[in-house]
Amino acid sequence: MASEDARYRETSQFQAWSFSPAQLAAMREKTNAIARQRIAERMLASASNPPTSNNTSHANTPDPSGHGTPNPTENSTPTLPDFLKPEEEALLVSFYVSELLRAADHLGVPDEVRATATVFFRRFFLTNSIMTYPPQEMILVALFVGSKAEGRFPRIIEFQQKFNTKQDILAGEFLLCQGNRFNFEVRHPFRALMGATMELRSYGDIDEQRIIAAEKRAHEILLFSPLMTDAYFHYTPSQIMFAALSLADRGLAERLIQETFHFVPPTTNNDNTPAVTPLPGLENPGIGRKEGGSKGITTNDERAAIVGPGIRDKVMGTIEACRNMLSTELPERKSHWTSESIFKSQIRPVRKKLTKCRDPDRWNLSELQRQRREAGVRRADSEERPAASNGAKDAAIFGGDLSADAPEKKRRKVDGNGLEDPFGGPL
Amino acid sequence: MARPLDPLGFEDEMCPVCKSRKYLNPDIVFVFNPECYHSMCLNCANRLFNDGPNQCPHAGCNKTLRRKGFRSAFFGDLAVEREVDIRRRVAAVFNQVEDDFETLQDYNNYLQMVEDLTFELVNGTDERRRQAEAQLQAWEAEHRADIERNKKAGREADEISRKRLAAERDAVRQRRIEAIKEAEAEKRERVRSREMELDNLAKGTTAMTAEPATKVQLKRRGQVNRVAETASNPTIATTGMGTGASEVERLSIRGLKEKPKAPAPQGPYDPFGGMDFAPCRYKLHGGLSHPLMEKYRLDRQHVAGGYSFDDFAARALYEAFAGLGVFVEDEKEVGSGIGLSQETSMAAGIAAVGDADKMDLD
Repeated sequence: MASEDARYRETSQFQAWSFSPAQLAAMREKTNAIARQRIAERMLASASNPPTSNNTSHANTPDPSGHGTPNPTENSTPTLPDFLKPEEEALLVSFYVSELLRAADHLGVPDEVRATATVFFRRFFLTNSIMTYPPQEMILVALFVGSKAEGRFPRIIEFQQKFNTKQDILAGEFLLCQGNRFNFEVRHPFRALMGATMELRSYGDIDEQRIIAAEKRAHEILLFSPLMTDAYFHYTPSQIMFAALSLADRGLAERLIQETFHFVPPTTNNDNTPAVTPLPGLENPGIGRKEGGSKGITTNDERAAIVGPGIRDKVMGTIEACRNMLSTELPERKSHWTSESIFKSQIRPVRKKLTKCRDPDRWNLSELQRQRREAGVRRADSEERPAASNGAKDAAIFGGDLSADAPEKKRRKVDGNGLEDPFGGPL
Repeated sequence: MARPLDPLGFEDEMCPVCKSRKYLNPDIVFVFNPECYHSMCLNCANRLFNDGPNQCPHAGCNKTLRRKGFRSAFFGDLAVEREVDIRRRVAAVFNQVEDDFETLQDYNNYLQMVEDLTFELVNGTDERRRQAEAQLQAWEAEHRADIERNKKAGREADEISRKRLAAERDAVRQRRIEAIKEAEAEKRERVRSREMELDNLAKGTTAMTAEPATKVQLKRRGQVNRVAETASNPTIATTGMGTGASEVERLSIRGLKEKPKAPAPQGPYDPFGGMDFAPCRYKLHGGLSHPLMEKYRLDRQHVAGGYSFDDFAARALYEAFAGLGVFVEDEKEVGSGIGLSQETSMAAGIAAVGDADKMDLD
């Protein structure tokens, strides 16, 4: 295994946030299903309470008659709304990603920050449904956390001023971090692109302007296409970069691949350049296989595994697949996402649907945070004073907690105890 | 007239005969005669009564005293001395014990009677005193046998108790001696064992590994083996020391050979745990350049700050090729990395209903 690959395998991006397409689809399905179920429960729970108060003050068990049966005695939403399908969710995510990119343009943040924020956003809505948390707010949160992750520490005031909003950005911050399972390092193809062009330049026989033009175009692609697709989940940054380069200038990408995977197994017993001097003119046949590479790799099989023809073909195949994925969302598509007509026809209906089926408890992030803080404080207090409250007796009789945070606690019980998991219990 | 340093007024006591005081004559000794309980200094007593009986020199006292009768007082107050003498005499006669009486009441009555008599003897008028004295004599004559018997019993009881006390004291003393002996023995043992250890170290043999185990066992088994051990030790020690340089040398050489070698060297410590940082697919050389890099090479801030352009080139090339051979689709299907369900459930825990505590970062 090549040492670079070994090091890449250690990253959280590979270990926790890389999936095969099948896995990804399954994850989205699961997220969607779980969200539907939970939201349905919550909607029914809040529907059977007075609709005026957001925080219900009496504990009522969810309607025991089941999910879908309408309850004619209620005066609020009797039936469950139509929930979003996974495809619709994916569509919305893409839309909001484009919104995020526009916001990033507006802020004028560096490339890494854009990309990191987008990746955070995507990761978050991979395991949380769009129905559960408001994507419009999460955009700013993602930009904020993304900036911090990349070493720029913006002020909240700046954000609020630039976007003319009063949104409480910090309310969703911890949520986003949890959603990313606290993996803050995201690797990007931007520096890789620079490295690739450096390498190309060092070959010496390629036109400088060609390289510059290719880099420019590839950079443009990288700023948009991988972020609008699931490329970050399926391909490594290096592969994404090669794909973008090939979209920009196929010849250069192929040249680079050829030069890298140059090793020919010695059955033909000639013209294999053991030393990876990129200058193509120098071919030193048979000068010991002292590669400038890893300690002690000298066998032919190992070298073939790293830079031989077999792996080369595989790599090229992968790059081709990635290229196809990227080409679905070339930068020219930016206008597609911002166009009024597309918005009206595709996005708006889904958004309308979303407003009906969103999670009543979690849509308001600052409210959610406040509730959680209070519940935490209350729980800390109640731990200190074990049985001091007046309601204790009543609670004992009625078999439940009659205090104001009962719904919270009840739901916690319903959802089971995820106390062992540092990332919280399941949805 | 008692002075502060002389509360009982001994120093003021004056011989009524020669009028000398302790102040003027520090070696003065006072004596008295039980006949009349008058005191005088020894010199006067000698002078006055050496030549035979004479009259008491105290004014108004015409008792004939002999030199033999004078004795020095135990108590400072002669009245007390007199009373004590009387009580002694009475106790010699009335020496019945509680066990001799049937009831406590009888015993108390007896004691009361004795006390009354004593009081009359001590403080009575002359008339009553003579009567009491007569009673005393009568009683004695009457109960001579009893008195004799009681005396003997008393003597025996005294004997027994005295013996018991002596025995106890002896036992205590014996125990102390033993404790001291044991402490000394242990000290000696310790010193001896330490010397033995040192000898063994000098020899440096496998005996050392065997030693602690046997040492522990020996301790438990008790004195006998320890004695045997210590008996054998001096021989070893002496032989070790006695043979001098040659044996020492030989011992040390032998020790070196026999000592187990340190575990095979694992090589220098590798902080990266075997991770390799040398690139496989590319080579870093001076020819790598990029327009941006060149631009910053001319920038004073970057150059003066010590920015390393080679580092940047290395990083850029690393990122260009890292993961090129990693095929996510294959690997994730096969299952390297985290499984799907685990992934989803763990990641889905974000919208945790659960612990509000987790929300609190304070």
